[in-house]
Amino acid sequence: MKIKLAMQKFWYNFIRFPKYVLFHPFDGYDELKREKKGKVSVAVIFMLLFILLRIYTYLGEGFVINPRNPLALNTFDEFFSVALLIFLFTVGNWSITTLLEGKGTYREIFIVTGYSLFPVVIIGFPAVFISNYLTLDEIGLYSLAMSAAYFLTGVMLFMGILNIHEYGLLKTIFTFILTVVAMAFMAFLGLLFFDLIQQFLSFVKSVYQELRLRY
Amino acid sequence: MKKKVWLLLISLSLIPFLMGSTYNYSFYGNVIHSSPGFVYEADFHSKSLGINLKSPEYFAVYDDTIYAVDSGINALIIIDEDFNLVDSMTVFPFAEGVNPLDYEFKDGSFVVESDQITGLTLNKPEGIDVKDLGIYIADTDNNRIIRLNHSYEIVDVYSTPEDPVFETTSFQPRRVTVDVTGRMYVIAKNIFEGIVELSKDGKFNRYVGVNPIKLTAWEIFTRRFMTEAQKKKLRKYLPTTFTSIMINEDSFMYATAKARNMNAENTIQLINPKGIDVLNRNGYFRPMGDVQFLRSRHVAVDHGPSELEDIAYTDSGIYSVLDQKRSRIFTYDSEGNLLFIDGSAGAQRDKITQGVALNYFKGDLIVLDRIKQTFIVYRLSEFGNLVARAVDLEAHGKFAEASEYWAEILTKNSNYEIAYNGIGRAHLRNGEYKKALENFKLGHDTYYYSKAYKEYRNNILRDNFTYIMIGAGALIVLMVGRSIYKKRKRGESLLYED
Repeated sequence: MKIKLAMQKFWYNFIRFPKYVLFHPFDGYDELKREKKGKVSVAVIFMLLFILLRIYTYLGEGFVINPRNPLALNTFDEFFSVALLIFLFTVGNWSITTLLEGKGTYREIFIVTGYSLFPVVIIGFPAVFISNYLTLDEIGLYSLAMSAAYFLTGVMLFMGILNIHEYGLLKTIFTFILTVVAMAFMAFLGLLFFDLIQQFLSFVKSVYQELRLRY
Repeated sequence: MKKKVWLLLISLSLIPFLMGSTYNYSFYGNVIHSSPGFVYEADFHSKSLGINLKSPEYFAVYDDTIYAVDSGINALIIIDEDFNLVDSMTVFPFAEGVNPLDYEFKDGSFVVESDQITGLTLNKPEGIDVKDLGIYIADTDNNRIIRLNHSYEIVDVYSTPEDPVFETTSFQPRRVTVDVTGRMYVIAKNIFEGIVELSKDGKFNRYVGVNPIKLTAWEIFTRRFMTEAQKKKLRKYLPTTFTSIMINEDSFMYATAKARNMNAENTIQLINPKGIDVLNRNGYFRPMGDVQFLRSRHVAVDHGPSELEDIAYTDSGIYSVLDQKRSRIFTYDSEGNLLFIDGSAGAQRDKITQGVALNYFKGDLIVLDRIKQTFIVYRLSEFGNLVARAVDLEAHGKFAEASEYWAEILTKNSNYEIAYNGIGRAHLRNGEYKKALENFKLGHDTYYYSKAYKEYRNNILRDNFTYIMIGAGALIVLMVGRSIYKKRKRGESLLYED
């Protein structure tokens, strides 16, 4: 009985509720926000599944459309590129919406980002699997499914941000543009920071070397 | 005994060094070892010919004879099939019935004897083509094309064509090639409109093979805000210039062009009689010479794409291009698969210092080296011969026989990925789809893989049709049954929605 209860809970958290949010964005995100139905653990698992999907696509996509060298796969790169993108987006969006009277907390932004990956994960895995059994003429179906999945993800993310901050349409679009700017700015600062650290370290290293060679 | 074994081992270990370093590109773009397709066979030069060549520019092959032009001694050189000199001519008399007074000649381009023009001379000729219709020489600095008959008498002279372009630029033909009807295709210096097509009588027809320039949206955008002075300072956007042309029996023209910036994608073209590039580019990479190259300047290594200087074709659609920059010869089949990469830079007998022309001559490949003034003859290696035969058999539809050759090729060079495709095609014809799939996967041929897979999948579906239908039927029954069961359990009506 315990197992059955756990299964039902799992089914509700990972399938039923995200599906409900996808098709009823206003009600769904309202429940997510007010009734605390969104869970950070679920969001994190969706993000991990998305990273897994990218790796699976790299290796397991149908032969007819997969020109990638399996030896060139770098799982760390795949992991960090997604993690970094999510980090930049959530932090960027949070800093912009805090200034623009958004009602959402960082936790909610994070949850929305994770939940919005639901369509890609749920359509992506079977689609990539099926792409192994398609010929060149039929591969269009696969591309269509994948673009539909990414489109739905975009819709979910957009509706999520709109709802948790209690914004209107234009203001959401405006925040998205500002978020992209903030992300670019953060990336720039990060690069600058690493470059300076590198230069500083090499300076310390050369001073140390000089001293050691002299004395 | 022991000594002999040691000697054998040492000599065996030397083989890789003696073979030189021929390579090819794998599907993933890595440089991998490959067997040489052509090996040095012979060479002939000023000394062996007994003529003082200065700057041989180009040569053509016709009827087992080599016709070359030298821009240093302004001569036409004829060499027979045993590589002995037949004749070397600097003055060409007029054929019977040709009146020199019908033409206008440039000063110093003719010979006068007793107040009569008796013959024409050449001034830095750079191109030649020999066909049944005669010998066509691009007499570059005399701004004309001379047509000789096969007893080396002048039949006709074609001077500057009538096109507005030549009012400002002088007509300096570099290469000429002639189709079966006598139409001439000419590459002229400083002409960027394309290849000049002249009619049989030397009248200007049109430009063919024009390489249009595509500006990016950003370039168009920024150019809108520039003044005329700024635009002039920009790098000039000139269309690709052709370096060499060779027409085949079906009037399709093989052409090489200079790469623009770092873009070498259209440096090899096959121009059909309509003037459109129809080259097959189904290989792992577009035919363009070297695929991997440095993009920025380097102290020790040449950078930039291959500079293709000449192109030559042989049977069953195989063609070779000559890279002057790195002195390499790239051989492709009609589908655009890179078959071999041969040749290397150097002053040794089998190496090339500055290749200017190449031609197939009785199955061999002859490269003309301008600096060494040497013709270098390369013959197909054992491996190369197998590949050439396999390609030829496939061109004649004998896939099963070709497959045996491909298999033998793989025992000689297991890096040769395209051989798997040859084996796969034979399996595909035989209906052995599973084996075909394996081979196409190894050869990375998605097109044929897809074809074989379709058949393979259809076979499986056909064989298991009953089970699939039973399964689908059972699934439907189960689903309907489940919903009925659920409704019954809840005490709802089966027919009406409550």
